[in-house]
Amino acid sequence: MVMQSTSDDTLPPTRPADAARGRVPALGARVGQSRWTGLLLVLALLGLWELSARFWVDSANWPPFSRVVMALFEEGTGRELFFVFAASLRLMLTGFVIGAGLGIALGVAIGLNRFLREMLSPMVELLRPLPVPGLVPPLILLLGIDAAMKGTVVAFAVLFPVLINTAQGVRAVEPTLLDTARTFRHGRARSILAVILPASLPYIFSGLRISLALALIVTVVAEMIAGGTGIGYYLMTMQYAMRSAEMYAAVVLLAVTGYALNFIIVSVERRVLRWYFAQQD
Amino acid sequence: MLHRLPVSPGRIAAVLLPVLLLLALEQAVDSGAVRRALIPAPSDVWGELVYILQGGHLWAPLGKTLYLLAVAYGCASVLAIGLGLLMGRSRAVYNLFEPLVEVIRPLPKPALLPPLILFLGIGDTMKMTVVGLAVFFPVLINTVQGVRGVDPVLVETARTFGYSGGRIVSRVVLPAALPFIFTGLRIALGLGLILVVVAEMLAGTGGIGFLIVDMQRTFQVTSMYAWLVILAVLGFLLNLGFERLEARLMFWSRQSEGRA
Repeated sequence: MVMQSTSDDTLPPTRPADAARGRVPALGARVGQSRWTGLLLVLALLGLWELSARFWVDSANWPPFSRVVMALFEEGTGRELFFVFAASLRLMLTGFVIGAGLGIALGVAIGLNRFLREMLSPMVELLRPLPVPGLVPPLILLLGIDAAMKGTVVAFAVLFPVLINTAQGVRAVEPTLLDTARTFRHGRARSILAVILPASLPYIFSGLRISLALALIVTVVAEMIAGGTGIGYYLMTMQYAMRSAEMYAAVVLLAVTGYALNFIIVSVERRVLRWYFAQQD
Repeated sequence: MLHRLPVSPGRIAAVLLPVLLLLALEQAVDSGAVRRALIPAPSDVWGELVYILQGGHLWAPLGKTLYLLAVAYGCASVLAIGLGLLMGRSRAVYNLFEPLVEVIRPLPKPALLPPLILFLGIGDTMKMTVVGLAVFFPVLINTVQGVRGVDPVLVETARTFGYSGGRIVSRVVLPAALPFIFTGLRIALGLGLILVVVAEMLAGTGGIGFLIVDMQRTFQVTSMYAWLVILAVLGFLLNLGFERLEARLMFWSRQSEGRA
């Protein structure tokens, strides 16, 4: 059945170890050699943007890059963007925590119990590939356009990668570990907390890492479709209002946010899984 | 053969659970506990599905959505694999493009919809561009990783046998990197489908995403759910088809890694 096969959202945890050893250098890893050509290319493209907007392209849709950056620091826009992003991120994190919590709990249950696994995996397999934005319109009818709806959509999107990775991690726990726990007469709850969860953490983190990126995407999407509040809504409003500098400022800030979120979760992963990476060497 | 029937309590429950849930929902709607205007009875949705299928109303929206997805997915994948091979094989190309990729990659691609609408309007070009952008990066990153992870011994061996650079790439590097490339393609398919639906919802004139939003706005709730079911089935079948294809092509590899 599904849970045995390497599934869509699963990253077997050999990957970070390989990357750490430098056998499979990840993008963004320090490669030793200087990357000044690449940085130069980025700067050149930004320069081209600036110059083209100043001298060649006369369009309200194409403000110079400097104006976009200035919009970020302008009194009004800066404050507005701060509140817009704070609202979206709070919503995203709420949905993420709920979805990830449910995903880990269900994943452990499914991983440990054959009955639950056989009963639930067909339904998981049916729901998992559903493109999440499709859920927004029905949920608007049921929950309105506010935080309840958006949080639910985010939680739904987060649930499946976490669930599947957790279940896989739990099933990959070495039987010796479980036997040892039994030898020490650990109860079921204590086995789960002290043995199974830590041993499946590399898998769980893979799920969390994928889900966090997905959560940001889905937050923006839900806000775009439903409107009301948040980054997605702000982007759409600025586009309608032809305030392109503010629109690009939000896009730039969103890229920074995405980068920061990924950086944070990878750092936490490195720290929490230090034993795991050490083991692999 | 009776003794080999794959029957177990869990499997039976797997069939019973959705049936019971649907029956309970049907009952709840019939009894008025759930407002029919918000959640239609499953039987009504089924009736609507039959109507859509029998009336031939399925094909135009489905074709539109699949056409957008296929063109964008195909073009972006080919470009990404090409650039990925170059970046993976050449340190200079890698150094040139890596910072740019790192700058653009973390951006949630739906955020590019508003600017793209300004430049390209709300037509197919805009939708294909945004879907293509969402597809491009997972494929590129996994290709680069796959190519860089190829065992140098393989490449040296090919060189010893007098393979030219082009043949080394096509006969050694590409096959060895294929499991990674497929992982990228699989992640990209899911993202691509999400983006098609979003683009159609925000700037659509047809297609399944547009229909779902349109039905919601006009309160044709039964139709909305019917099209949502169609979308779910489409996602399921695309995913299943891809997994089958991957299993068939990758039968020699147990390795499957990647990053989103």
